[in-house]
Amino acid sequence: MTIDLNNFDIGQVITKDLISLSLKSMNKKDVINELTDLLVKHGDVENKQKFVDDVLAREKEGMTGLGEGVAIPHGKSIAVKNTTIAIGISKNDIQWESLDDKPVNVIILFAVKDTDANTLHIKLLQKVAILLANEDFIKNLHTVQTKDELIDLFINTSKE
Amino acid sequence: MKIVGIAACTSGIAHTYIAREKVMKAATELGYEIHMETQGTIGTENELTSDQIKEADFVLLVVDIKIGGRDRFKGKRVVEVSTNTAIKAPKKLLEAVVTKIQNA
Repeated sequence: MTIDLNNFDIGQVITKDLISLSLKSMNKKDVINELTDLLVKHGDVENKQKFVDDVLAREKEGMTGLGEGVAIPHGKSIAVKNTTIAIGISKNDIQWESLDDKPVNVIILFAVKDTDANTLHIKLLQKVAILLANEDFIKNLHTVQTKDELIDLFINTSKE
Repeated sequence: MKIVGIAACTSGIAHTYIAREKVMKAATELGYEIHMETQGTIGTENELTSDQIKEADFVLLVVDIKIGGRDRFKGKRVVEVSTNTAIKAPKKLLEAVVTKIQNA
């Protein structure tokens, strides 16, 4: 895969297969499992339990709820084959340790390959992280209705 | 007001960059000049220059871990907070620090 580093596109780490707009899970642990299932199915995570354990271990080190109903659990793990993200949206309020002490409805799970240093993929995750500092982006995240809308939101906001 | 800073979080994947972005935005809105280095999983980016450090009124460390190159700030006023503090209320944080410095 050859990609121009100066002109890369966030759309390259976000695919419909790694999005769920109607998470069934009612709690944090189940959400992490449900999103990890997507990553396993898509071939990005090879050992589900190992990855979930690594994500939960990171959770213990500090809260990943950013406030405004968004959480970004993440695992840097040997169980990850391809560095990517899975996105879940829930109609249910999921209890999560958050900066504003409120539950979350949007969960973005970062899966990072243990040996991935200085690669394009981490730069793309970095771009996603920067989007999360954008208040309008966060607001819009809560109103998307389709996967296409969600992907467009990421791509268009990152071009601003 | 001129500020230099460093952002660094535990795994160096997300919080580092969210914190940098939020602090930079808040500083710009408040009319301050700011330079923020990140020390993440892919190493150091936007490394501070010695001139930037020399001119800064204070150093803002937005860090959850031990960072590299702290000796660069010898003799400077250094304020250290967690990435969570900076992500939650970046403007409030900057205003509080600046007020404290101006009243010192």
